[in-house]
Amino acid sequence: MVERCFVPSSLREALEIRKEYGAHPLAGGSDLMVQYKAGLGITPDFPFPVMIITKLEELKGISRKEDGSIEIMALSTPSEIAACPFMPFHVKSAASRMGAIALRNSATIGGNIGNASPKGDLPQPLILLDALVVLTSADGERTVLLDDFIRGSKKTDLRDDEIITKIIIPPVEYTYAYYRKIGTRKANAISKLSLSALIKIDDGLVSDFRAASGAAGPKVIRSRESEEILKGHRIDEIEPLIPAFLESWNNAISPHAMPEYRRNTTKRMLEHFITEALAMPECEIID
Amino acid sequence: MTEFKLNGKIVRFEGNPLTRLIDVIREDLGLTGTKEGCGEGECGACSVLRNGKLTTSCIIPVGAVAGDEIVTIEGLRDTEQGKCLIDAFAEGGAVQCGFCIPGMVMAAQALLLENSDPDEEDVRMAISGNICRCTGYDLIVDSILLAAKKGKGLW
Ligand SMILES: Cc1cc2nc3c(=O)[nH]c(=O)nc-3n(C[C@H](O)[C@H](O)[C@H](O)COP(=O)(O)OP(=O)(O)OC[C@H]3O[C@@H](n4cnc5c(N)ncnc54)[C@H](O)[C@@H]3O)c2cc1C
Ligand code: FES
Ligand code: FES
Repeated sequence: MVERCFVPSSLREALEIRKEYGAHPLAGGSDLMVQYKAGLGITPDFPFPVMIITKLEELKGISRKEDGSIEIMALSTPSEIAACPFMPFHVKSAASRMGAIALRNSATIGGNIGNASPKGDLPQPLILLDALVVLTSADGERTVLLDDFIRGSKKTDLRDDEIITKIIIPPVEYTYAYYRKIGTRKANAISKLSLSALIKIDDGLVSDFRAASGAAGPKVIRSRESEEILKGHRIDEIEPLIPAFLESWNNAISPHAMPEYRRNTTKRMLEHFITEALAMPECEIID
Repeated sequence: MTEFKLNGKIVRFEGNPLTRLIDVIREDLGLTGTKEGCGEGECGACSVLRNGKLTTSCIIPVGAVAGDEIVTIEGLRDTEQGKCLIDAFAEGGAVQCGFCIPGMVMAAQALLLENSDPDEEDVRMAISGNICRCTGYDLIVDSILLAAKKGKGLW
């Protein structure tokens, strides 16, 4: 069946179409065009109305606000995000490792979040940084924590009349940062496992610690409860706390979410990051 | 209706905006230099330039390129840069069955537009989304480096 296709020329028009017909936004198309592929030489067959939002200028651009937060409009591509001079390390790292060059030029952050695939690379660092997502409808706007917005594999809290318009990353400070994506070696490889972490040390005290792991379960894993175990302690008190932290972190992952070997790899990476950070090396990025 | 520029000329497409860009290029405009391999964004055979940036034309609907400037191998072929690249591919022995070559040349062009003096690592990165089933890549990489050297000043 050929469903309708709309090409709105402004955000306002897009929101009206979304409200009236429930048309699904097509941004870069790199998920939708593949998911509904009908064969070589054939137009994809969508079971719902679609609106092509790729050209909406209102949804483009990346900016830094006065309070230090960063606003990434929904149509920003991984190439633009990776090239942005003030993009936080974790997000930049994830964006620059997505797909190959052509994919990075056409995929969008809004599509990566809207698709909510557990293999999606951007939600993981964004959730680490407590990013917010702004959802706009013809009737208004709401802002929610990305970690709450993504409910599970391919499930979001997007309402039928809403569009993701931007992502906000609150100001973040860290002393040491870590990012790893483990895939197969070739480009266009989908993540098998990814981990972001950061630690902030103030006068010898761990004032912030966060970790987020992606591609392993139905959604990005962040355990604020486990993070608390390390926070507020002096760095010379941390080492004996690591086993308790790792156990708590492990328990936060539902039993079937991650096969044993991935759990172990993740735990090893976390332990490596914490141990390296405690040695207070010169450079802030830990490999 | 979707209007965009293809190889410098304005094109107006009246059909469904969800038609894949590659189908408009190959079927409607009859430019068959752009190849379709996987149809899923994985092999790079269908690569074209969109506003100077590499794009796989099999996973993008024509409605998404409205107002853009698309260049295919036919548009690049007769330019100085295109000739330099194609000659270098021939001289370097990079072509076997040839199926991946238009996409490889587009990827090389996208690289050289951004960086006219790439090293081997840059070249490997630039073609990392392009699959060649015949050559094992080394001769392609060498040919792109050769083009950059011979065509100094062209980019
Ligand atoms: C070859 C290849 C390699 C890939 N490699 C990676 C990779 O390494 N890492 C990775 O994370 N992903 C990868 N992907 C998946 C895909 O490219 C990403 O998920 C991308 O970010 C999707 O963005 P898009 O704009 O192209 O999505 P689209 O296909 O346009 O949309 C995807 C979904 O999000 C919805 N949507 C889009 N924009 C909005 C919006 N503004 N508001 C609300 N909903 C919206 C759509 O309705 C749809 O449901 C790859 C895909 C391909 C084809
Ligand atoms: S045919 Fe488009 S990437 Fe393979
Ligand atoms: S030369 Fe045959 S696929 Fe590359």
